[in-house]
Amino acid sequence: MSRFEIYSPEGLRVDGRRWNELRSFNCSINTHPNAADGSSYLEQGNNKIITLVAGPQEPSSRSQVNTKQATLSVTINLTKFAKMERSKSSHKNERRTLEWQASLVRTFEKNLMLHLYPRTSIDVQVHALQLDGGILGAMLNGITLALIDAGIAMYDFVSGVSVGLYDTTPLLDLNSLEENAMSSVTIGTIGKSEKLSLLMVEDKVPLDRLESVMAIGIAGTHRIRDLMDKELRKHGKTRVENSSN
Amino acid sequence: MATVQQLRRKRISDGLTVTQKVFVRSRNGSAQKVVREHYLRKDIPCLSRICDICPNIIVPNAAGELPKFVLSETPQELQGLGKHYVVVDANIIIQSIDLLENPNCFFDVIVPQIVLDEVRNKSYPIYTRIRALCRDSEDDVKRFVVFHNEFSEYTFIDRTGNESINDRNDRAIRKTVEWYTNHLKGKGINIVFVTNDRLNRQAALKDSLVAKSLAEYVDMLPNSEEIKDLIPNLAPISGMSSKMLEDDPEGHGAAKAEFSFPEYYSTSRIMGGLKNGSLYQGSIQISEYNFLEGTVSLPTFKKPVLVLGQKNLNRAFNGDLVVVELLPQSEWKAPSTVTMDSEHFNVNDNPDNDGEDDEGEPSGVLDDSGAIMSDKDRRLLAQSAILAQKSNKVQPTARVVGITRRSWRQYVGQITPTSVDPQSSGTQNVFVILMDKCLPKIRIRTRLAKQLLNKRIVISVDCWPENYRYPLGHFVRDLGDIESAQAETEALLLEHDVEYRPFSKKVLDCLPKEGHDWKAPEDLTDPEAIRNDPLLPSRKDFRDKLICSIDPPGCVDIDDALHAKQLPNGNWEVGVHIADVTHFVKPGTALDAEGASRGTSVYLVDKRIDMLPMLLGTDLCSLKPYVDRFAFSVVWELDNDANIVGVDFTKSVIRSREAFSYEKAQNRIDDETAKDELTLGMRALLQLSKKLKQKRLDAGALNLASPEVKVHMDSETSDPNEVEIKKLLDTNSLVEEFMLLANISVARKIYEAFPQTAMLRRHAAPPSTNFELLNEMLQVRKGMSISLESSKALADSLDRCEDPNDSYLNTLIRIMSTRCMMAAQYFHAGAFSYADFRHYGLAVDIYTHFTSPIRRYCDVVAHRQLAGAIGYEALDLSHRDKQKMEMICRNINKKHRNAQFAGRASIEYYVGQVMRNNESTETGYVIKVFNNGIAVLVPKFGVEGLIRLENLTENPQSAEFIEDQFSLRFVDKNGVSKEVSVFDKVEVQLKSVLDPATSKRKAQLLLK
Repeated sequence: MSRFEIYSPEGLRVDGRRWNELRSFNCSINTHPNAADGSSYLEQGNNKIITLVAGPQEPSSRSQVNTKQATLSVTINLTKFAKMERSKSSHKNERRTLEWQASLVRTFEKNLMLHLYPRTSIDVQVHALQLDGGILGAMLNGITLALIDAGIAMYDFVSGVSVGLYDTTPLLDLNSLEENAMSSVTIGTIGKSEKLSLLMVEDKVPLDRLESVMAIGIAGTHRIRDLMDKELRKHGKTRVENSSN
Repeated sequence: MATVQQLRRKRISDGLTVTQKVFVRSRNGSAQKVVREHYLRKDIPCLSRICDICPNIIVPNAAGELPKFVLSETPQELQGLGKHYVVVDANIIIQSIDLLENPNCFFDVIVPQIVLDEVRNKSYPIYTRIRALCRDSEDDVKRFVVFHNEFSEYTFIDRTGNESINDRNDRAIRKTVEWYTNHLKGKGINIVFVTNDRLNRQAALKDSLVAKSLAEYVDMLPNSEEIKDLIPNLAPISGMSSKMLEDDPEGHGAAKAEFSFPEYYSTSRIMGGLKNGSLYQGSIQISEYNFLEGTVSLPTFKKPVLVLGQKNLNRAFNGDLVVVELLPQSEWKAPSTVTMDSEHFNVNDNPDNDGEDDEGEPSGVLDDSGAIMSDKDRRLLAQSAILAQKSNKVQPTARVVGITRRSWRQYVGQITPTSVDPQSSGTQNVFVILMDKCLPKIRIRTRLAKQLLNKRIVISVDCWPENYRYPLGHFVRDLGDIESAQAETEALLLEHDVEYRPFSKKVLDCLPKEGHDWKAPEDLTDPEAIRNDPLLPSRKDFRDKLICSIDPPGCVDIDDALHAKQLPNGNWEVGVHIADVTHFVKPGTALDAEGASRGTSVYLVDKRIDMLPMLLGTDLCSLKPYVDRFAFSVVWELDNDANIVGVDFTKSVIRSREAFSYEKAQNRIDDETAKDELTLGMRALLQLSKKLKQKRLDAGALNLASPEVKVHMDSETSDPNEVEIKKLLDTNSLVEEFMLLANISVARKIYEAFPQTAMLRRHAAPPSTNFELLNEMLQVRKGMSISLESSKALADSLDRCEDPNDSYLNTLIRIMSTRCMMAAQYFHAGAFSYADFRHYGLAVDIYTHFTSPIRRYCDVVAHRQLAGAIGYEALDLSHRDKQKMEMICRNINKKHRNAQFAGRASIEYYVGQVMRNNESTETGYVIKVFNNGIAVLVPKFGVEGLIRLENLTENPQSAEFIEDQFSLRFVDKNGVSKEVSVFDKVEVQLKSVLDPATSKRKAQLLLK
């Protein structure tokens, strides 16, 4: 039996949010202008993520050269201090990490105009400084911001969030306590559309409930898109002001 | 120096801010810093109907429902408090939940979230009870609300640097009280904070809030006289945290330091000990023969570890989860061969002078209770220890050093007459002997001692401080006179945790509106009927089949019926038709929830406690003859040797041609003149069932026995007047075989469809240690043995245990073997691997319960899963979720066990009543020999009793217990030397006596 009321009959979650509320969301871009071509820092609840993009650049080895389009790679680094307990392994070659990397690559391959950059590679590194549930969604958002900062052509924002199902109630943007207590779905949406670029279901979710889960998830991603958009415009504005001075 | 650290709060939007909860916890011996987000909001309503602000701030939940405003605009008005709501703290809830549930007090109560969390962590059952109070508060008698003070921006507080967590939480409660007080100030409603914590109360008074202790508050109530007795009984203990206890209205006086249990180890020491392997944790079982002997089964030891004596047991109750420490090897012993029960132990202790000598008790056998008790205790223990060493069968012993979880619940018992002072009319301390003889007596304070004498009462245990010899409790309610059938039945049901209250309105609302006039549609293709029930066309029409039911006489809830018909190819079509309960009991309804929580119907001698309302159980679902009923049918094609050629599952509509009793069916089959088709079908069924049974026995199915009897009631006075051993006819096994076949077929089908969550039933093979003692007794006394290699070997060896001179011996051994078996259990398929699905007793690889959905919830689930498996309707989520299935299984396992115990206890009670009128001499068998007595089973009445050494001989000292021979040698009352051993056939005189200490009627046996 869990020590907490995960979702109380009064409709409050373990951290005080209601079912359809996102966690606090903060982001900034161009945080590491000297270290990478594009970078972002993102806080989604207690998830803290730095994303660095290098490229388009010449591939380090010949074998990676693709004459048709750029080669996209994503490396995830879950730092050893990111969880409550210091972990011994670096999580580098864990199945789960590799799977995330693969699905992130697949998601962005569809959304980037890679054919504009043949014979190059675009390398994305994600460093998770702190983890608190729904990390895959947070990584989608972080990568989107860093890619925009790097100036790589893309069709639209990709924004992600996780949604859980507690009994019959869908809960938006799970933290780690909630994630451990219920099955969840991670959704990635393109822009303000209802097109899904990612749908990751790691546990079982009953098919007849999936629709309500996705509906609240899509609404959540749209809200995140707006927050990212606002930050980008603010950043753009200061940049324009700085350059004109 | 500690500094006050203001944590950062960040505003996210209007009415929502986020902060961080930071704390350090120890995990696996090292410190760990935990950081969690914590959102504070302004939209948490006060939920008072009088409030005109909060209705504007509320928001709907995911289902679009708005919170209900519950607290009354005209709450109870008291002298000095005015109209008021009550805020309670966690200890009040934990200790006085009964009082909060009482419909005559505590009408409008606010439970702060921080309090609820504490309750949840300390006792989950009480948490569910308080949550149920909040949930049901719409009915307007009791109005309980939870206020999420931790999430409200107005009431959340940060912990200051030098504050302990408890102090911070107390302050949070006071903050809530303060907020409510100010919030409702203009509305003429006061807030009263009820807590027994003096410091907290003082702090509240300093903030000019209204705070009362529970006793003070109850005193102010108009009906305080009747409620006072229900206040929990807590002793003042020096050195105990000031939180829990104080404010005893009169003060129990200084606790006597003379007697004292060893203190429990600190939490950190226990955690450390468990980790480094010096301490062990397990649940303790108190021996039913000796309440001072407990065993703890630990995975590290092959045999259970013994805990002997009061001090070593250290206040553990039967079933508690305890932490034990092994004693040095020099103190290891064998299980004692002495019987002892709390009823006859220390009858003269004085409840007022706990642990101290008292001034002259009336009618004492022992004069100086305190001293003699411990001496006697020690002597008996020493005696058995010596004997143990002789026979070299020592077991490790241990002592309890901590209790992780108490198994305390409400108990039924009665006040011991000797502890009541007839002169006193005020409050006095009295002892209550509990029905469960594994438990010690409880000390309660009551003003009603005299009125409650000779009544069965319900009490609740509050605490057991280390300097009290007996646990302290309080009176909850009175069930009625001892030996009145009604009080005894209710006591029995309470004691076995059987829900027997009538079904609530919410549940009854789920029944079909037509009531008894409900009819199965005449025509399954009728569009009108299909509109009401879209699944109707997928039912098959079996109304042309010659179906009949065979049940015990007088059975009204008929859940199975059968038919057989010869097919043109010579094979047999055999159908088992089970009442289609799930047509009426849909998942997610209140009816379903009630059925799931009851788990099973309970059959007592004079009463049946239904799992489902009468309308369904005895009418709409019951497969009564001559009417159309919905059924779930399993239809096989069997060849002449009863091999399954094919099987089909379908929902159907049937019409039973006749409802037979076992006897009538047997007569009909035996009647050679009857040549109609129905009888032919029944004869075929009988033939096939015999073949099925033979096959099952060949595979190694066990044929065990239990001393089951049936009590006949006088039809006019409904007094029990005769006891009969249950008879078995061929037709009994006819029905049984086909039910087994149906269960097995269904189990395979649902496992195939739902490999993770299928509802199944397993029966594990018994560990050989269970049979050790029985085997040794058999070896020594009879030169026989039981083989445990496989169920087949066991069955065969049981068959071989025959004594040509005594035909009952075989049955006796079967009865005793049954007691060595493991209990069968319900589980979901994901919980075990396929190899462990095996049902040992039936010798099949997979099994479930499908055939009695009216009286068992497992069958209801199996029905739904089968309906899902055949594509009749989609399976509900709750039966596709492992966790939920796990919870269902755990509950029905418990309820099933309780129902069995309750049924047996009921028979035992009525057998006692029967014997009251007919004293007789019967044949009995010795089943166990102790140092100071023998246990005898009397097959005719199915009763088991203990004959104490004092009743066997004039001179107990001369008796000799020969342990390795399992015999007791003594000189009987006529001066003749006698020796009695296990399995001996003895003549005993049976009479029913009312035990003066416990007012329990039981069979007393005397050797002839």
